[in-house]
Amino acid sequence: MCEVAGEQVSTQAPADPAIPDADSVLYVRGISKVFPGLRALDAVDLDIRSGEVHGLCGGNGSGKSTLVKILSGVLRADSGKVRIAGRELEAHQIGPKLVRDLGVRVVHQDLALFPDLSVAENMMLGAGLPVSPVRSVQWRELRRRTRLNLDRFEITATPDALVRDLPIGVRSQVAIARALQDVSSGEGVLILDEPTAALPAHEVGLLLDAIRRLAAAGHAILFVSHRLDEVLAVTQRVTVFRDGRVFAEHRTAQLTESELIDSIIGQGQERRADTARSVPLPAAGAQPLLTIRNLSAGPLREVSLEVMPGEIVGVAGLLGSGRTELLRAVYGDLKRTAGMITVAGKAANYSRVDQAIAAGVVMIPEDRAGSGAFGDLTVDENLSLSVLREYWGLVFRRTQLRSDAEELRQRFRVRAASGSVTMKSLSGGNQQKTILARWLRRKPVLLLLDEPTQGVDVGARSDIHAAIRQVTKTGGAALLVLSDFEELAQVVDRAVVLRRGKITAHVPRERLAARHLNQLIYEETDNHA
Amino acid sequence: MRDIRFLVRPRGLGRAAERSGVPLFLVALVLLFIFDPTTSENFRSAGNLENIFANQSVTGLIALASVIPMVAGYIDLSVAGIAGLANVVAAAIIGTYHQSVLVGLVAGVAIAALVGAINGVLIAMLRLNPFICTLGVYIFIGGILELYTKGQTISNGLPVSMSGWDSAKWLGVAQPFWLLLVVAVVAWYVLTQTPFGRKLAAIGSNEPAARLAGFRVDRAVFVTFLLSGLLGGVAGDLLTAQTLGADATTGASYLFPALAAVFLGQTAIRPGQFNVWGTIFGVFLVAVAVDGFTLLGAQAWVDQVFNGGALVVSVAFSTLMARARDRRARTEAMRAMQDAGSPAQHHDTQVPDVSHADAPTADV
Repeated sequence: MCEVAGEQVSTQAPADPAIPDADSVLYVRGISKVFPGLRALDAVDLDIRSGEVHGLCGGNGSGKSTLVKILSGVLRADSGKVRIAGRELEAHQIGPKLVRDLGVRVVHQDLALFPDLSVAENMMLGAGLPVSPVRSVQWRELRRRTRLNLDRFEITATPDALVRDLPIGVRSQVAIARALQDVSSGEGVLILDEPTAALPAHEVGLLLDAIRRLAAAGHAILFVSHRLDEVLAVTQRVTVFRDGRVFAEHRTAQLTESELIDSIIGQGQERRADTARSVPLPAAGAQPLLTIRNLSAGPLREVSLEVMPGEIVGVAGLLGSGRTELLRAVYGDLKRTAGMITVAGKAANYSRVDQAIAAGVVMIPEDRAGSGAFGDLTVDENLSLSVLREYWGLVFRRTQLRSDAEELRQRFRVRAASGSVTMKSLSGGNQQKTILARWLRRKPVLLLLDEPTQGVDVGARSDIHAAIRQVTKTGGAALLVLSDFEELAQVVDRAVVLRRGKITAHVPRERLAARHLNQLIYEETDNHA
Repeated sequence: MRDIRFLVRPRGLGRAAERSGVPLFLVALVLLFIFDPTTSENFRSAGNLENIFANQSVTGLIALASVIPMVAGYIDLSVAGIAGLANVVAAAIIGTYHQSVLVGLVAGVAIAALVGAINGVLIAMLRLNPFICTLGVYIFIGGILELYTKGQTISNGLPVSMSGWDSAKWLGVAQPFWLLLVVAVVAWYVLTQTPFGRKLAAIGSNEPAARLAGFRVDRAVFVTFLLSGLLGGVAGDLLTAQTLGADATTGASYLFPALAAVFLGQTAIRPGQFNVWGTIFGVFLVAVAVDGFTLLGAQAWVDQVFNGGALVVSVAFSTLMARARDRRARTEAMRAMQDAGSPAQHHDTQVPDVSHADAPTADV
């Protein structure tokens, strides 16, 4: 659906696609993977030469993670084949052990280090600690081997340092060194999945240098990242996924950032976005429903924002930009250090969540399983927790509760075998609709929504959009955090861009477009490196 | 009872067995001891049955006290210690300081509630680990009581009328049993029929979500420990009447029988959830089993063996059952989607188990 006619993106043909590059250590050919209701990967091709840093970009759900999982053997592809280090494998043969034996190593964003153990222990626990004949650890030998590795990968840390005392950038290097310690130079495929996502800006350059050195030593590197400036800085080629397909392969040297953004997002999306909105803006002179003045809380610094009745305002920002904290601060779930908030003209400097709820402010948190759903309780109980008191007579009025809940389930199209099944037996989308229904039944005036459609299929997604619109049509307003900017551009009336706790841009309705938002997010992401 | 928590019922027998395992086991044990020739006569004697009913009231009260924090996902190991404290305080005030029975009993409950409140502050306000904290309080109380009683039993000066109340009957059943029943009904009412009780269940299910749903989690958890201490005090007062005295160790000895009952109770009636009636069945299951095996000739060791065994078996049982339930829920959810035959694109077809590694997840 993305291959819109008239696509003007600089889609370069992959460099000589017919000729397998003699240098390539990793070929991926025609790999496909289907999940129920979702074609995650559709016959993707990819190859990486030794000594190359190869970027992999794409929007959320474009299939990057699925490919990484397949290449590391934790997820089985439906069809296709790969060739790793000269060994050809059919889809069903790709398993974690074999892939590892062939030299594929994956370092994930969360690194999986043991923070309370030393660098040496972290390096060697996987590979096996050197032990004496009585099975005690030979510390001296351990240190010696670790020091060799630290030297080889040019890491400035001592073997005895605790990992948690290291700067985060060095931790990433330790994780990479641990992964590659038994892979000789000139061999192996290193997959880095969002390696810089958690890094402070000044440490990113350090890690990028380390990655360049690894490439120079002959390792083939797949660099999966959202941060386009880094992709441009470190890679030789970039493959762009869109909707589970290879949309383009670019040579980085001939690529500009805006071309790359075009390639990832496409331009066809934007036209559709404008037609999707039909709600008129509120009359001029109306009083704002939500006013935030110079709010500081957590990472937020001096944030000011007004939301008019009837408006859905999008909040665009990278992870860690303060987007979640903005919602939490309004909700009374995060302590304000300065500033003031009013809702419908009344002071709304809530210090507790129940005060916010009483005033008609509700929040749908990002982490559905962790802080939204009550997994062990029934769907009907989940629906009723926001209005418990209504059902308290002398005994709990369960019959009433159930019939109300049934009505809600139908109205919000929650697909559940019955209301007495546990919440956790529902799919993500149905859980989210249940949570939304739980709060909307209170008829809130202000909705705070943090990634409400994450992990939700297309059908449920439009149900959720409609439910939000229903609130704003009746004079309410919504503040909506979405990291899928295409969706954001379709749903909201205007947006603000958050960066490092500050609002760095106000995007009016007529300029709302995923491409533009992406530029505001990506291009301004600092000039380290 | 209600059909809560069941997506897919294990067909027929399996489901009934899962819910009523403990009650059925209780019935089976009673029948065994009634018909086994070595225990039959003694077990059926009026004295023995009365004993079981009357003597389990203290265990039952302590078990119910422990259930309240557990519904919210917290554990209180100090209840038996608190009961011992109330026991000694009541006995000392009545016996040693010659105050009225009423003053003694009120003082017992009051100090118990105070310790409950201290637990509440430590755990709900200061967010300390409830297991360690209440275990510490339990041990601490034991030491203080040892210090105060110097290992002696307080028994002088307690009016015989107290034990009269304890052994008196109403409708043919000892009065302490009625006390237990009343407390059980109240606990059931509070835990299942009031918004407060439902909030506790929500906190027990997902505390961060409960906080974001606007529940005053710290306050609710504080109240559970307060109530738990209070009920422990009632148990201590009853113990004073029953034994017409007090010593440093009797109250504390109820820790494990009560705990075993609570965990057994979690496997019954509403499997997987701590609940009042399951706990009551648990109390009598432990009591009947220990009584019967003692009649069979088992020695003092049977108490510990049975309590310990019951703890491990009930935890294993409820954990494995919960896993089986989750599995059934998943397969049934998948089946329901397939049956619906919906075009995959427009309906939710995500694998329900979001934690599973091969579920499609959004790129980070």
